[in-house]
Amino acid sequence: MNAPVSDIVRPLADVPFYQPVAEECTLFEAAWRQQLPVLIKGPTGCGKTRFVAHMAARLSLPLFTVSCHDDLTAADLVGRHLIGAGQTVWCDGPLTRAVREGGICYLDEVVEARKDTTVVLHPLTDDRRILPIERTGEELVAPPGFMLVVSYNPGYQHVLKTLKPSTRQRFVALSFDFPAPEVELPVLMSETGIDAGRARQLVVLAGQLRRLQGYDLEESVSTRLLVYAAKLMMAGLPPGLACRTAIVEPLSDDVDTVAALLAVVDTQFDQG
Amino acid sequence: MEDIVGGWWDRLITRVAYQGHPEAAVTLAEVERTAPVFFRAMGGDAALTVRSAVGTEHGARRRWLERIAGTGDRVELAWQDARSLYLPDVIDHFPDRALNRQLYFWLMALAAEARAGTDWLTANREATARCLMQMPGLAALYRRLVAAHLKTRPDPARLHGAEAAWEEAIRAALASPNETSALPAGQAACQPVPLWLHPTPPLSGQAEAVPRQDGEAEAEEAARREARKRRRYRAQRVAEDTRKNGMLMVFRAESLFTWDEYVKVNRHNDEDEEDNAAAADDMNRLSVSADATTRASRLRFDLDLPAAAYDDTPLGPGLLLPEWHWKQRRLVEDHVRLVPMLPRDARPAGLPERLRAPARRLRRQFQALAPERTRRRGESSGPDIDLDRVVRFLAECGSGVRVGEPGLYQSWPPGERSLACLLLADLSLSTESWVGDAGQVIDVIRDSLLLFGEALSATGDAFGVYGFSSIRRQEVRFQVLKDFSERFDDTVRGRMLAIRPGYYTRMGAAIRQATRVLESQPAHRRLLLIVSDGKPNDLDHYEGRYGVEDTRMAVREARAAGLLPFCVTVDSEAGEYLPYLFGRNGYTVVTNVRRLPQVLTSLYATLTR
Ligand SMILES: Nc1ncnc2c1ncn2[C@@H]1O[C@H](COP(=O)(O)OP(=O)(O)OP(=O)(O)O)[C@@H](O)[C@H]1O
Ligand SMILES: [Mg+2]
Repeated sequence: MNAPVSDIVRPLADVPFYQPVAEECTLFEAAWRQQLPVLIKGPTGCGKTRFVAHMAARLSLPLFTVSCHDDLTAADLVGRHLIGAGQTVWCDGPLTRAVREGGICYLDEVVEARKDTTVVLHPLTDDRRILPIERTGEELVAPPGFMLVVSYNPGYQHVLKTLKPSTRQRFVALSFDFPAPEVELPVLMSETGIDAGRARQLVVLAGQLRRLQGYDLEESVSTRLLVYAAKLMMAGLPPGLACRTAIVEPLSDDVDTVAALLAVVDTQFDQG
Repeated sequence: MEDIVGGWWDRLITRVAYQGHPEAAVTLAEVERTAPVFFRAMGGDAALTVRSAVGTEHGARRRWLERIAGTGDRVELAWQDARSLYLPDVIDHFPDRALNRQLYFWLMALAAEARAGTDWLTANREATARCLMQMPGLAALYRRLVAAHLKTRPDPARLHGAEAAWEEAIRAALASPNETSALPAGQAACQPVPLWLHPTPPLSGQAEAVPRQDGEAEAEEAARREARKRRRYRAQRVAEDTRKNGMLMVFRAESLFTWDEYVKVNRHNDEDEEDNAAAADDMNRLSVSADATTRASRLRFDLDLPAAAYDDTPLGPGLLLPEWHWKQRRLVEDHVRLVPMLPRDARPAGLPERLRAPARRLRRQFQALAPERTRRRGESSGPDIDLDRVVRFLAECGSGVRVGEPGLYQSWPPGERSLACLLLADLSLSTESWVGDAGQVIDVIRDSLLLFGEALSATGDAFGVYGFSSIRRQEVRFQVLKDFSERFDDTVRGRMLAIRPGYYTRMGAAIRQATRVLESQPAHRRLLLIVSDGKPNDLDHYEGRYGVEDTRMAVREARAAGLLPFCVTVDSEAGEYLPYLFGRNGYTVVTNVRRLPQVLTSLYATLTR
């Protein structure tokens, strides 16, 4: 179990690309070794999902992802009986499968789930590491490989939706933000194959638009949108149009704001 | 000095046979709404407002120019000071309309990059170079602007002496902003450069000779700029108030400066004292020396207190509330008297005509929001089948595990959301300031309250609306506009229509009272929404740190009581103190005051989604 990472690291080709920003990979791996659950917070599209996929692949762990929403029930996580041909079959939910197989269970946007749903995580996230399954009477003990990872976006739109302190305090937490230009640049290039020149223009544009966060935009342009814009450019669209479609329009519905954002795009990509 | 300046401008303005292209003119009004967003994106100071260089409020400048020129010719250039970015009212420099429009954006980008400390030519050249380096799109535009502009400049070969040298230098700087060059000796009147910032930003009608080479004048100017900054006029508050002239405007003392920041106020040194009625009394009438180093220009202003006859109707003798004393680090019990009040002269009234259409729209939107969120599963009766449970029920029947009382339906009972919201609005005197044609801040707040009420009554959520202002700790005025138990009807609308701005902002006490009211609501989630337009402040020590610390404590108390405090502010400088009061995700800034009603209602929808 205490084998150094290098022993279990997979060939890089299989691992989804993730450009580290700081110490997050080391921290994640340490948490996994010590069997600690991890909470990742950060704005939308900053690479949380990609990071977890990357780490799961690096550590050769199966990954079970659940996107949480307010109708998500404990049964959706743990499992339920289904009616088969004349009989009923128990069917494991993603959480149960992750426990059985010793993989990573990743609950995306966990604050969207109702509080009574998240309490099923409690016995799994303290030192007992057990998952009682009420309906079948089973009690699973999580193997060392199992890890619970949750993420959410702490923006102000979600002030009414937070985790209960008793849930929160069961996790070690990593805070993500939009990557610095020198990190975002290689991300754009390797995700889309775009040239360094236009990638740099996109990254500087992102910096300009991120100044508007909290003033004119609730949340500013994510790395994901930059990737979209670069992809449209790679498909042969003129940069101005690509930015309008992939960046400006998704960010705002307000006519004046859209006009201003287009003017900002023009400072990077001249339209003549 | 004055002579030189006058002569310089005179020659400048009359000599330049100004050739505009009125048919291609673009006005500031056309870019006004996009300008602030663009300027901020360029890295411009978020606290600055964008203004016309010759707007009505700055008529002085036009008259001054016209006086000097002796004609109506205009030379409009852009500049910025500690409060505003000034842009030409009209740009018709080029025959191409698109280019004229783009010049506005170029000027904003340039202003955002401008740094103080060098001479006019170097400062503009360097700022240009910085812009071009970071923004390739802008660089292409710049080349077009320069090419078009150079055509209108005089040929240096036909000028003489210093004038020719300056013209050469300007052309060189325009063409290759990356190349340093020595400034020509001597002074000359040059044709203005509309691509650059103003050489001598007009300061209350004074200008200095340019180009300046005198290091001392430079330092003096820098010092003065610093002083101006320290005073921190708030652009929004130094309002376009037409009732008074020049600097003698009536508004809240705090809006001119903060005590801590400005020292030349004649007042008692009472930082540490508990209470000092005499000092506070004194402060109703302040004498402020604007700038001791220059001529003793003394300002004097009275605080605009409404006459007693117009005062609101108090409901009972008032309640005693505690206040946090940050130096002593303790809550001083019974320190503040809060008086619940009803606005005087409030008569039942319908929704004003102009708000009817938006209100209808909001009601529809909010009605649509409400039912979806109140789904209840596992009901024993209801309009829909709970498929999940049916499957489970059948499965359990089949496997013989257990069969309880099955709830196999879903329903949408009303009011299931279990959400209560208290809206607390700042009604202090600063809300009297003007926001262009939208009227005063208070008008926008009034509309916001009315529309908010319309929207919330459509959701069925419990809500109350209150307003507050204060005059020292003896009187925190807590306006009851809509109690939780009241319906949102014409009586309530009448009260909202009757609100008037007055006095100060003792925010801590108001939040404590709002907390008490909201705490008694049975809902699961309780949102305390505060609408504010500035820092907490009041006369008796409640300015600066004291007020901020007390408010912060009151917010923490509200949180501890299980409420969710959230602040919506129209103060563009709020970034300096609101994170400290409400936390990084506990507030939002509305930069365009006129949009407050929309922002407030959509915020409610987002927060409670
Ligand atoms: N550090 C990074 N390395 C590689 N790709 C990245 C990185 N950061 C962001 N990306 C890119 O951004 C895209 C969006 O990232 P991801 O889907 O992980 O965002 P997220 O944080 O999970 O967002 P949400 O909260 O909306 O789910 C990815 O598809 C990837 O292309
Ligand atoms: Mg994700």
